[in-house]
Amino acid sequence: MTASLTGVGVTSFGRQPGPDSLEWQVDAATLALGDAGIDPDDVDAVIAGYSTVASHLMPANLFSERFGLRPATAFGMNVGGATGLAMLAQAARLVSVGAARHVLVVAGEDRASGQSRETSTRVLAQVGHAKYEVPLGGTVPAYYALLASRYLWTYGLEPDALASFPVQMRAHAARKLGSQFQKPITAEDVLASRPVAEPLRLLDCCPVSDGGAAFVVSAAPTDTRSLAIAGTGQAHQHQHLSALVPGSSGAAVAAQRALSEAGLTWDSVDVFGIYDSFSITVAMLLEEIGLTPPGRSGAYARAGAFEVDGRYPMNTHGGLLSYGHCGVGGGMAHVAEVATQLRHERGASQVAGCEVGYVHADGGVLSAHVGVVLRRGA
Amino acid sequence: MRTPELDWTHGESTLLVITCARCGNHWYLPQVHCPVCGSVNSDATPAAGGGLCVAVTRLHVTADGQDAPVRLALVELDEGPVVMGRVHDADLAPGDRAHVDFRLDGPNGVLVPSFAKEMPQKGSVS
Repeated sequence: MTASLTGVGVTSFGRQPGPDSLEWQVDAATLALGDAGIDPDDVDAVIAGYSTVASHLMPANLFSERFGLRPATAFGMNVGGATGLAMLAQAARLVSVGAARHVLVVAGEDRASGQSRETSTRVLAQVGHAKYEVPLGGTVPAYYALLASRYLWTYGLEPDALASFPVQMRAHAARKLGSQFQKPITAEDVLASRPVAEPLRLLDCCPVSDGGAAFVVSAAPTDTRSLAIAGTGQAHQHQHLSALVPGSSGAAVAAQRALSEAGLTWDSVDVFGIYDSFSITVAMLLEEIGLTPPGRSGAYARAGAFEVDGRYPMNTHGGLLSYGHCGVGGGMAHVAEVATQLRHERGASQVAGCEVGYVHADGGVLSAHVGVVLRRGA
Repeated sequence: MRTPELDWTHGESTLLVITCARCGNHWYLPQVHCPVCGSVNSDATPAAGGGLCVAVTRLHVTADGQDAPVRLALVELDEGPVVMGRVHDADLAPGDRAHVDFRLDGPNGVLVPSFAKEMPQKGSVS
């Protein structure tokens, strides 16, 4: 596949009242186009992610009119938290078959300020089965809490097994401008935070944020900062928690498809962006894709494996847990961070000598999986 | 084409387990084709109601104004599939044998499966 990631843009995330979803998308797109160094006129395809607040049928058309674009191809996408990476994968396909030269991928949402927490909780809970799960009164945190409960029981672990992930993400976010939470926390803070859905506590859960993110994907590099989209892989094996097979959610399948397309193995990957909507999410993803043994990812986190200078530098911007989560844009921030690392532009948090990055996102309840391999030098 | 049997989502105090007529795979949520072999032929059978509790949560931040905490569990039925239900037994924990009951509960106050620790059978060796 020949496709280049030529521009990335991420706004600050947080509770930032004022802009609506479309305005966050405009901000992010402006950043990404500026980063790529191309004119809006050069964009011939637009892919836009859904916003739960805007809830518009045609997000790409809505965005294009507002931004002042008349693309030859425009469409919206919805695969939950995996949408950003799925859009990136589709953009790469469009340029690699010659259907577009420059694709603008964009998402943004005033998820924190544009709706009440109750509305947000209720809307997101609809990833549960309408007849068999939603009537039970669960929420997304409850569904992930059930995964966490099963995980801890399966491996004979206590809740503190997951506490090092929020701590590590916060330490990363403390060194990242624009992150929602920067004050360092300890494992004791995580365990003392109020229970949301046991065993998950407040600090095990990502926040709801306002913000946006965008990419430019091009048929050819625009300069030496352009990155190769070396491989993408997806898996969509179930929608609902009640149909999930633990340890075989599709994460490993997606990762192996992406690595296979890139012609690489984990040994080649230097920097990671792994979806961390909850502490349990990133733990299960890391273990299923095979970076750590089952039940051991938390111990790896405690030992510093995901630090900038660790064995698997991961989410060095702070991830969803601490940079923040504005919906589709939340998972896109991992891509922007890995891209910044691969360009060797991450300053004090630079992963030394990194050449290859892997980003993974899931949507729903480990339902939709997309993995992307990025390589320095397009 | 068989007439589908009715389960708790239709107000009946039943969990249905679907069995693929071709490969014997079991599942719980309605699926037109067997997710393993693709067969369209399947049979719905009422589950006995017992199984192994594999997960529990107490939800403190509820939607739809439900009183907190809300207890939920995942139970792996003896017939194979995993079922999500409410919990009406504060002691139910992963690793316990669980048995289903049906109660008016949840945000809509409709009949839902609800689990408790399974009582030892009379005459059984514990």
